[in-house]
Amino acid sequence: MKEKMEQIKFRVQRYNPEKGDNPHFQEFLVPCSRGITVLDGLIYIKENLDSTLAFRTSCRMAICGSCGMLINNYPHLACHTQIEEFCAKKLTIKPLPNFPIIKDLVVNLVPFFETHKSIKPYILRHDSEEMENPTAEFCQSHEVMESFLQFTYCIKCGICVSACPTSASDKQFHGPQALAQCYRYCADNRDDGEPERFPVVGTDHGVWHCHLAGACSESCPKGVDPALAIQLLKRRLVSRGLGSKGRPKATTAQPPTQSKPKVPYPEFTVQQDK
Amino acid sequence: MKIVKPQPNNLGPVGWIWAGNYKLERYLYILHRITGLGILLFLVFHLTATTFFRIQGEPVWNAAMSFLSNPLFKAGEYMVAVAFSFHMLNGFRLILQELGFLMGKPVPPIYPYSDALRRKRRWTMAMIGIIIILCLIFFYDLVLGGWQ
Amino acid sequence: MRRYTYLWLMQLITGVLIAVLLGIHMVMQHLDKILPFFGVNLNDPTSWNSMIERSRQGIWAGIYIALLAVVLSHALNGLRNVILELTPSARTQRVVTGSTLGLGIIIFFWASYVPIALLYH
Repeated sequence: MKEKMEQIKFRVQRYNPEKGDNPHFQEFLVPCSRGITVLDGLIYIKENLDSTLAFRTSCRMAICGSCGMLINNYPHLACHTQIEEFCAKKLTIKPLPNFPIIKDLVVNLVPFFETHKSIKPYILRHDSEEMENPTAEFCQSHEVMESFLQFTYCIKCGICVSACPTSASDKQFHGPQALAQCYRYCADNRDDGEPERFPVVGTDHGVWHCHLAGACSESCPKGVDPALAIQLLKRRLVSRGLGSKGRPKATTAQPPTQSKPKVPYPEFTVQQDK
Repeated sequence: MKIVKPQPNNLGPVGWIWAGNYKLERYLYILHRITGLGILLFLVFHLTATTFFRIQGEPVWNAAMSFLSNPLFKAGEYMVAVAFSFHMLNGFRLILQELGFLMGKPVPPIYPYSDALRRKRRWTMAMIGIIIILCLIFFYDLVLGGWQ
Repeated sequence: MRRYTYLWLMQLITGVLIAVLLGIHMVMQHLDKILPFFGVNLNDPTSWNSMIERSRQGIWAGIYIALLAVVLSHALNGLRNVILELTPSARTQRVVTGSTLGLGIIIFFWASYVPIALLYH
């Protein structure tokens, strides 16, 4: 498939609850060439072939996380997936599994966001005086930030939850996204919220149902690696369970005790008038 | 506007048997589960044989042993030995990796993305190598004894 | 929260103990044709006479009972985790937990009665 146009068959799962039918497949022929993404193909279908096709899309550059779909039985972001990479004349597009379907390729992400909220994804501290009237910034060294920076890149697209085999069978499992974000906040040394978060995730249906299948990290479109975050969270839970106290929390930075030496003003390079 | 009830779409326990396009670690998870349940099933038969048949004296025991020396049962015993060596070594790898020892540090994501499991694939391959060696040792013993 | 952490840690620890005890059992039962090369001679462990010998020695009874305890706890805890992943209702979860615990205790007492009774045969 080079610059010339080829007809690719898109087999899209349709489901309209108002018509009362079951999910079924519909086929479309879409002209594609090098550089066309799956999202471009779906927009072509919606503009030219069948305007009742429903799907979510927003940024078209893999940063908003709206367009997650199952393409040829593997979850991808539709805007981030070239049609050429499949080397096939036929693509099967289904909505993301492990979420309830609302219509066509649109899934219900409300339980996903509720689970994310249940692990309190914000900094929790006990010195409310400093939080209300901040006097200075908190000290956080570069090493501490590097220990959780990778997990802050999550775009909440839901692809890891649809790849996880435990999420597929266990409805009460929090999912790799919520557990990785729980670790991101517990590892941040500005945060003191472990006693509040651990009873939520440290249960049978929480962290301990993860068995390291690694499908979440493999399919993550932003390289966030939730599997590593979950194993580090287990390590933290075990060390708290065995009695270790952990690193001290960040304090505010001290104001500088001496001002820096003045840099000497450079010499003039142009002759000055006296 | 009519309120619609979303259609449930969970993949269910089929993910415990087949994993499609996913990579090695997901199939190791499936095998770990299957070998665990298989050894549990074998354990039920093994405990009845070594308690009920044992306590009833020599003739019952020898009758049971001659019934079980059928080559089909010997093949089954070899499968149990293979399942045990896989489950044990994969369990060692899981203990080390789930406690965060063989996983390495978080790395800022730079395209092409890789994850900790893929970076530390060598340990997984070493574990599979040891499993294959153990299976060959058990097989050698099975052959040397003339399938006894 | 700590309860679940300790349950998971118990799976790990029983796993390592099983690797040691069951390793001894497997080597004894299955590798008896290769071991003579290393100088250890076992005289056909599955024959009746060899079993009578072993049932007289207290250490083998101890090993078998310890192996039974760790295997039962590891296997039934694992089975409970697998069943709970199907998310039954809260009442079914309590039933599953209770019945695996009960089954474990019953099987342990029955199957450890045999080596102890045979010690004094």
